[in-house]
Amino acid sequence: MTGGSLAAALSEIVGARHVRTALPERVTYARDGLPTHRHVPGVVVLPGSRDEVVAVVRLLAALGVPFVPRGAGTGLSGGALADDDAVLLVLTRLNRILAIDPKNRLAVVEPGVVNVRLSAAAAPHGLLYSPDPSSQTACTIGGNVAENSGGPHCLKYGVTANHVLSLEVVLADGRIVQLGSPGGEPWGPDLVGLFVGSEGNFGIATRISVRLLPVPRAIRTLLADFSALRTAGEAVSAVIASGIVPAALEMMDQSCINAVEDSVYAAGYPRDAAAVLLLELDGGREEAVAADAETIAGILRAHGARSVLSAADAKQRERLWQGRKKAFGAMGRLSRDLVVQDAVVPRSALPDVLEAIGRIAAAYGLTVSNVFHAGDGNLHPNISFDGRVPGLKARVDQASGEIMAVCIAAGGTITGEHGIGLDKLRYMPLLFDGDALAAMRAVRRVFDPDERVNPGKVVPVHACREWSGLRIADRGLRIEERGRSLAQSAIDNPQSAIAPRGAR
Amino acid sequence: MTDRGGFEGLDSCVHCGFCLQACPTFLATGDESDSPRGRIELMRALETGELAPADPGVALHLDRCLGCRGCEPVCPSGVRYGRGLEAARALLTEHRGVPPLVRAALGVLTGTGDGSRILYALTRLVRATGIPRRLVGWGRIRFAMGMLAATKPQGGGRRWRAVKGGAPATDASTALHRPPPPSPALLFRGCVMDGLFSHVHDATIRTLQVNGYEVREVPPQVCCGALHAHAGLRDEARRLAGTNIAAFGDDDTPIVVNSAGCGAMLKEYGHLVAVGGRGEAFAARVRDVSELLAERGPRPGAPLDVTVAYDPPCHLMHAQGIAGPPERMLGAIPVLRVITLPDAAQCCGSAGLFTLVEPAMSRAVLAPKLASLAAARPQVVATGNPGCLMQLGAGLAAAGVPAAVRHPVELLDESYRAAGYYA
Amino acid sequence: MSLVDRVRALLGEDAVDVAATRDGVPRVAPGSPDAVALLLGTAREEGWRVRVEGAGTWLPADAPADLALTTRRLDKVPAIEPQDLSATAEAGIGCDLLRQQLADRGTWLALDPPGLAGRTLGSVVATATAGPLRQGFGPVRDHLLGVTFVTGDGRLVQSGGRVMKNVAGYDLTRLAAGGFGAFGVIVLVHLRLRALPRADQTLVLEGSREDLAQVAEDIAAAAVQPAAHELMSPALARRERWMLAVRFAGSAALVSAEEAALRAATGGRFTALRADEAHALWMRAAESFATRPVTFRVGGLPDSSDELIDLLQHQVGDEWVSASPGIGAIRWGGETTVDRLRRLRRTLAGLEVPLTLERAPWPARAAVGHFGAYREGVGPLVAGLRRTFDPGEAFVVAVEGTE
Repeated sequence: MTGGSLAAALSEIVGARHVRTALPERVTYARDGLPTHRHVPGVVVLPGSRDEVVAVVRLLAALGVPFVPRGAGTGLSGGALADDDAVLLVLTRLNRILAIDPKNRLAVVEPGVVNVRLSAAAAPHGLLYSPDPSSQTACTIGGNVAENSGGPHCLKYGVTANHVLSLEVVLADGRIVQLGSPGGEPWGPDLVGLFVGSEGNFGIATRISVRLLPVPRAIRTLLADFSALRTAGEAVSAVIASGIVPAALEMMDQSCINAVEDSVYAAGYPRDAAAVLLLELDGGREEAVAADAETIAGILRAHGARSVLSAADAKQRERLWQGRKKAFGAMGRLSRDLVVQDAVVPRSALPDVLEAIGRIAAAYGLTVSNVFHAGDGNLHPNISFDGRVPGLKARVDQASGEIMAVCIAAGGTITGEHGIGLDKLRYMPLLFDGDALAAMRAVRRVFDPDERVNPGKVVPVHACREWSGLRIADRGLRIEERGRSLAQSAIDNPQSAIAPRGAR
Repeated sequence: MTDRGGFEGLDSCVHCGFCLQACPTFLATGDESDSPRGRIELMRALETGELAPADPGVALHLDRCLGCRGCEPVCPSGVRYGRGLEAARALLTEHRGVPPLVRAALGVLTGTGDGSRILYALTRLVRATGIPRRLVGWGRIRFAMGMLAATKPQGGGRRWRAVKGGAPATDASTALHRPPPPSPALLFRGCVMDGLFSHVHDATIRTLQVNGYEVREVPPQVCCGALHAHAGLRDEARRLAGTNIAAFGDDDTPIVVNSAGCGAMLKEYGHLVAVGGRGEAFAARVRDVSELLAERGPRPGAPLDVTVAYDPPCHLMHAQGIAGPPERMLGAIPVLRVITLPDAAQCCGSAGLFTLVEPAMSRAVLAPKLASLAAARPQVVATGNPGCLMQLGAGLAAAGVPAAVRHPVELLDESYRAAGYYA
Repeated sequence: MSLVDRVRALLGEDAVDVAATRDGVPRVAPGSPDAVALLLGTAREEGWRVRVEGAGTWLPADAPADLALTTRRLDKVPAIEPQDLSATAEAGIGCDLLRQQLADRGTWLALDPPGLAGRTLGSVVATATAGPLRQGFGPVRDHLLGVTFVTGDGRLVQSGGRVMKNVAGYDLTRLAAGGFGAFGVIVLVHLRLRALPRADQTLVLEGSREDLAQVAEDIAAAAVQPAAHELMSPALARRERWMLAVRFAGSAALVSAEEAALRAATGGRFTALRADEAHALWMRAAESFATRPVTFRVGGLPDSSDELIDLLQHQVGDEWVSASPGIGAIRWGGETTVDRLRRLRRTLAGLEVPLTLERAPWPARAAVGHFGAYREGVGPLVAGLRRTFDPGEAFVVAVEGTE
């Protein structure tokens, strides 16, 4: 089938308005929230309902065309990008909240529902959806499920995986499967847990049932400022070791503070601080939270905080948080290009790792801004640079690699919440041996035998050891066949939107 | 004007996507191509030449931008989206010229075409017959009739009443101190405002007077050029700006505007006419009527028993960053109840000529706002921009929602009249 | 060469105990994860059928097999990091020993699984059996940072890590936890810990089940946030009537504030237990389930808890029941038949409630299966995953029944 006729067939399912084939339109989908990766998809389709998703997936299965599910495109690993031989399946139109059940504290949503809108809808019931990635005003819950997104408040309440009860999933071949049970108890092996964080490789979640939590009755938000990054890191360890689990414990360094303070989200962070810690304590009991906040403030002062400010009211708390959550978006003030990393290290290693990152940045002459989930040990070093300067991107990549190596050596991992996508494929073999990688690939093939959903992401195929039923040679043959048929279709229709790589 | 023509305003975009949910067209279609971030990709590609202005796929999505700039105040990196858009539209217009419909509308509405004045007069005659009101509907013509009907002063007799026996609230500041001598302000009349909303100008003059301003007319002024600039006709806009700058003189008397769209444009003159800093000096004098009034309180009027949904015009809130002053104006009217709708900050879909040239997208953008207005059932929807007044008026009438549309200054005017300030 | 000789040649003389098991299956106790991998790789080649055992106190060691692989020599705790609140432990360590070592370092694993105190960590993880603390601290999987397991063909697969958040690759930890050993033998576990609570208070209330159900609702409505909130049948609680036991754990301020809120919400009817009484109560409740031949769990919605207990009572009796009404989890213990279990599972499936058979003698396990009556499309996925991790069907596990 040619690209033109594929678009026509897709149009029959979703309506021509919701199929995008023109180059400029496809170009707008070429990046996600990590713009250093750029891949122009072959066709973009925006189904408007679960049934349309199923019909589209079945059509693509019948044709053997690969596809990539995408939500709002705020991911930070190049995960929601499709090449020009693939269809980008955009789920923003599936944005209905199907049910909110206050008694059982759960909600059922479509994948395109924007994270913060669910909490807004739950608020009248005194409930909220806890995972709060910094992009929550834009990102979708479907995307959160695919990436197993975190956020500041995951320190106490857990990441997306801890909040998903059950899923309706459309597999690559168009089969519908129901994973988990309404109450959250796994039904058989924990396939919900396996699916969450699979970065779209296992299919498309079309219905997502999540747990809601009561809005905490008591909240204390503290801002502590430090004159050295290392001291701030040590204070984090001290807080963790105290046994009090803050709802959130975030760190921002000076470069980040200044970017935020220059923006519309200026929060009143002290510009002369080397780092600030933003902590939140919450719970159901005012007196207990107040006592914990006192204890924590004492620990912070004892560990070198120049001052500890407590948010006076909800408005100030909101301002302190908005500053933190928009910090990534404010990085454009430093330079036009940006890479961000997502390593996690043991929390006790933070002071040393932060220093090492500073040394690497200095050695490469780069600006690194740190804004991250310190309580989880989840680092987000942002390297700002101007991609127009020749050779700079290569230096940035080298520095990134060195930072990653430091984090792994400290007992850490390469991503805590952004996912592997394309961006971190090269680091996977540093973390997993050939057997572990092969096991992942084999599991993926249980869900998607042709590896057709979001191809080329997460598992670096070349690094997989051979696994039963998974012979590398088969895969090679298949690709060759596909290449031939694609080449033929390009000859049939030179304007084909689906064309082999390099044809355009 | 810089050598990159405004495209440099896009440089700080890091693609975070925080703008998506602030974009009315993205909310309507869910399509990245209809989002600020997607359009920035298009604009960047236009600048580098990767995409050609001749490409219909580029034009389609840039044309579908309302220009509401709702994306700007949410952008952490401070991307100057509006600047980039004007640069991109100028490129498109250079290539394809101005579409006939836009050209015709500009001629008729902005007084730059022949017979504009006669047409406005005829239009007012048609409006006076009350026929447009009866023809209101969703089709292109019927919606236009609704827009016209919405410009009619006092909106078809659905007036709310002043509270019986209501007296002006005590005003400590004026009771204790003698009012200062009136300070001068120059009225910017504009084209559509002058043609169809002269009653709002009257209300502006009266309410400012009560608050210690003496409003003067500046006869040789012309259209602000906003619609031209949005259509990519920068040179025409620059020419109009030049005329206005000359007309309003060189002193520092404030220039008062009651149309958010005009105000936003006038404040951009510094960017448009950079030569000799004249544009900048002019821009610094421009004040929305709500700003001037809020500076003086404004003086409280008599109570009005009415429920008002305030709908901030994009060009007031996003482009000029004015949020508080209009609310202070309404706050000066005792008893009047202001309800705030959750999506009030979102564009109504009017956007200058947008409602005429992109009717389908315009209605799609309007729909959620109408739905929340229908649920909230205010008696009046207040907004300080002619396009929004017409768009909301037509939409409410077509949807059968019984609410009148008013410029906030009209409400204050009514309150002052009831208070006897004009006696 | 006989199986025993072959294994001795591989792992050493003392790795095999021929007379240890009741059914005469030779028991092999590898001393390292690599030894487990070596053994299972050989099993794959030789076609041996392997059953996996921990301490043998939970799942009966009665599955027919060529050899029994026990993890009891994998009992080291390589790391406890109080600064990071994490630990790494081998799967064969007994929960009681681990708990002691953690407490010595001021840390706590907030899991109170049913069974005897010496039950292995690997057994708890593999069967995902959480106890009453699941109310406040979540199911077993929420306490895992990563696991290492050995597949049926002898590959050592590591997943996750020892840091708090990790999304590198697919989450195979979730698959291994609660997989009942179908996908591999868990050899090493990275745990998320909490600080040893400064205060730990249990309060109880006896009454009719109807009465206590109402009290449980009042507690939920007052947003009391207990660590455990367990409704126990009289036999389990060793009382005349049903018992609602509420446990608070954390800082002194938190515990006293929550306790006050509980009293306010329930009119002060609860009785506080002394620490030794509380310990005895929870310990007995956990151990009781190891003394019944059959244990299963069901997971419904919180507001259906009461009806589900009614249903259990009607179909299999309610002598040994422990339920967390706040989260809709119920554990049942007792004696019953294969037919009744099958019927109950079908009935529950109609209500979209899964029944997981936790323990039973092999004939019942084999017939009923740990899992069954899957929802749409799940069966083929489970089968595919089993083929992936155990291509030679080396593991003797009753994943699904024979119905």
